[in-house]
Amino acid sequence: MKVITKGNLLSWLRQLSQKYTVIAPVTSAEVTLYEPVSNSEIEKINLNFPNTDLSPKNWFFPPSETLFTIVKNEIPKIIPASAGHEAVLFGLHPCDAKGIALIDKAFLAEPADVFYKEKRDKTTLVGLACSTPCLECFCTSVNGGPADPTHLDILLTETTEERYIMYIVTERGGQLLTDAPMQEAEVTSPVPPILNIVPTEGITEIMPRVFNDSYWDRVADRCIHCNICAYVCPCCYCFDIRDYVSKEKIERVRSWESCQSPGFSRIAGGYDPRSTKGTRLRQRWYHKLLYFPERFGDVKCTGCGRCVRSCPVNIDIREIITDVQRMRA
Amino acid sequence: MVTANPFIPYSATLIKVTDLTPDIKLHNLQLNDSALQDKFDYKPGQFAFLSAYGVGEAPFGFVSLAYQESGIEFAVRRIGTVTRALHELEPGAKIGVRGPFGNHFPLEDYKGKNILIIGGGIGMAPLRPVINFILDHRDDYGDLLIINGARTPKDLVFTNEFDTWSKAPRTRLELTVDRSDNKWQGRVALVPEVVKELKPSPVNTIAITCGPPIMIRFVLVRLKELKFANEQIVTTLEQKMKCGMGKCARCNVGDKYVCQDGPVFTFDQISKFLEQY
Repeated sequence: MKVITKGNLLSWLRQLSQKYTVIAPVTSAEVTLYEPVSNSEIEKINLNFPNTDLSPKNWFFPPSETLFTIVKNEIPKIIPASAGHEAVLFGLHPCDAKGIALIDKAFLAEPADVFYKEKRDKTTLVGLACSTPCLECFCTSVNGGPADPTHLDILLTETTEERYIMYIVTERGGQLLTDAPMQEAEVTSPVPPILNIVPTEGITEIMPRVFNDSYWDRVADRCIHCNICAYVCPCCYCFDIRDYVSKEKIERVRSWESCQSPGFSRIAGGYDPRSTKGTRLRQRWYHKLLYFPERFGDVKCTGCGRCVRSCPVNIDIREIITDVQRMRA
Repeated sequence: MVTANPFIPYSATLIKVTDLTPDIKLHNLQLNDSALQDKFDYKPGQFAFLSAYGVGEAPFGFVSLAYQESGIEFAVRRIGTVTRALHELEPGAKIGVRGPFGNHFPLEDYKGKNILIIGGGIGMAPLRPVINFILDHRDDYGDLLIINGARTPKDLVFTNEFDTWSKAPRTRLELTVDRSDNKWQGRVALVPEVVKELKPSPVNTIAITCGPPIMIRFVLVRLKELKFANEQIVTTLEQKMKCGMGKCARCNVGDKYVCQDGPVFTFDQISKFLEQY
């Protein structure tokens, strides 16, 4: 198998950064985020993080993004935004690669979301097998795994003595490695970490039966619709589109939105099919655990645990799945 | 200028604005690219987003037929920020059009059938091209009964077409209002009650309805009493929408996106996800 030392890995990334925008996890003030890292900053990349605070979806689907600009005082001339550079997204854990794959199902379906696709097409995903799962993680319960290479182009797995096994998943990943200083060596793969087990089996069959249960209102009672669950989620993709006007120009901007926001489904005239917190919270979990699986064949959750960690009122997807299983009877 | 990016609107010019009611205007517009205007195709039931640049965009059903020479028409009810801005525009104004999106009324499949149209208020907007298509292809369809209601007489839309509709062969137009005014001599009754009164036969009939959610709910009850089967009842749903392409997830109901899988659904389809509203 192909193996690279930590030192050589960093030199390889330095090489890549001359040709590509390298985006990698960087920790600052105890917050770990995916950030563009310049040639001279490669040492800053954090290779041993439990999970980043925000997911890498930001790179493809930023919190807000201009779709087009209209220069004022002219006949409206639409200038579409151009998106993306050739990039390497480095260091993402398999759960976050899965998150991108889940958004792909919706955004790359015809007609493809051009702004997302352009960035997606230009980015190679180099993953890092997860050796230190967070307390809240449960990727193996949602068709993932800490060393699952499925949605990556290259998967790195850390072994002893600061060496990494390089597993080439796609041809695109292989091309990135042409000049990489690797060696052939036989090393033992590390023992995979143990993860929480959440009883997801058969969840899509039970969800339709508990739709009208008062459970959803009870859980939602403490929700303060802060939307952090959707913002930190690696596979939530609801958005809003608005026009912003300044002195010189009009910009049409799309930005993250959450189904927990009051008015998320309210139409002109005031009719709102989801006017209560209970109906909105229920929509969130039904979209993730029933509607998305029905439409796209997979649960819309990667088990990354970010929403569990971030929720200020301790609404916990693991508890919700467990409670729904208990309502089975 | 055919753009490959469906987020970018086509540039269009407002040709004519007509008052339909005190709060509904008919916008007639043309795409600025004449080659595109000529081949711009859409079907009854489909919708497009209109942009009031600087304010935003909102979805509207087409109320014209693509084969008509007169331009593209939308009925705009002043009810929010975008519609208020669209109402302030005058002929010559530049606006954006994004579409067409969604499925359509499968009028080809209804050939040989009687058609029952039940519309309330601005809900008549997407039904108008259905009526006009049937009248343009009158021999292809059976009897046409139109039940058109509004809150008050002055809220009835497309009144200048009532004569054409009611004089067409095998066509009947029944008007109703919730509340009368001094001049109104017609029926005063809620739309579902008119359905109950007229007792249209379900035999070889398709019922197409659009209106406020509360009206649709009771129209469905009345049609069920008359033994209309779920697959004989067709409606078009209104939901919050931002993209029109099944991305933004605002119009998600059950496993459906109203913008892509709809807005036209049979009650048979809706009954499977109605409780998930």
